[in-house]
Amino acid sequence: MGLFDIFKKKDDGIVLGAPMKGKCVSIREVPDPTFGEEILGKGIAIIPSDGRVYAPADGVVSTVFPTGHAVGVTTPDGAELLIHIGLDTVELKGEPFTIKVSADQNVKKGDLLIEADLEKIKASGKDTITPMVICNSDNWTNIESFAGRDVEPGDEVMKLSK
Amino acid sequence: MTMKQFQYTIKDELGIHARPAGLLVKKASEFKSTVSVDNGTKKGDAKKIMSLMMMAVKQGQTVTFTIEGEDEAAAAEALEAFMKENL
Repeated sequence: MGLFDIFKKKDDGIVLGAPMKGKCVSIREVPDPTFGEEILGKGIAIIPSDGRVYAPADGVVSTVFPTGHAVGVTTPDGAELLIHIGLDTVELKGEPFTIKVSADQNVKKGDLLIEADLEKIKASGKDTITPMVICNSDNWTNIESFAGRDVEPGDEVMKLSK
Repeated sequence: MTMKQFQYTIKDELGIHARPAGLLVKKASEFKSTVSVDNGTKKGDAKKIMSLMMMAVKQGQTVTFTIEGEDEAAAAEALEAFMKENL
């Protein structure tokens, strides 16, 4: 391996920004085993203080649930991200969510994906904690997360490397 | 090689959403066989969460599972039981 390979290796990774403003916490703090036990993949969660959900990286919208409670983005490097706004919010049948993108649409980091009415979600008795997971976690040898602090949308919260 | 197939009509009013998709992937991944799912309009890989969720399978849709591999008989049986119990 030459000197230049070492430099190339250095930024060989995908940095993901916070999808929402709020407190970034470990995925293990999510009180739902589907997320907390990493069944859907490794990740972080945001306890949001604002309902706007932004693209954590450049990519393509792979799926938007018709109910607007979850959105998937696939990055050009093949990381499959899922952002799930609140817990059990599929049961709210779309009411607190406004979808701003459609499937197959190209997005840039920071583009608005969904607007959630956090007060409505809370009023319905649901938790607003929002997990962001890497559905194909097994494809990455290293997934770092930077939890335990307040974040603005776009602040670095995870880094993936092959 | 032979293969196993079964069909299942989704009863869950919310369709295959995130939680059941995750659990289904976990179940399918217990087996060596490949597991593909087809709802007539889209095909998916039952071992890949995003692939399953992109199918956006709704209540009332019939999905066909095709299982191929050395443990296909056991996998088909376990997956059919899983679908009946969860979806």
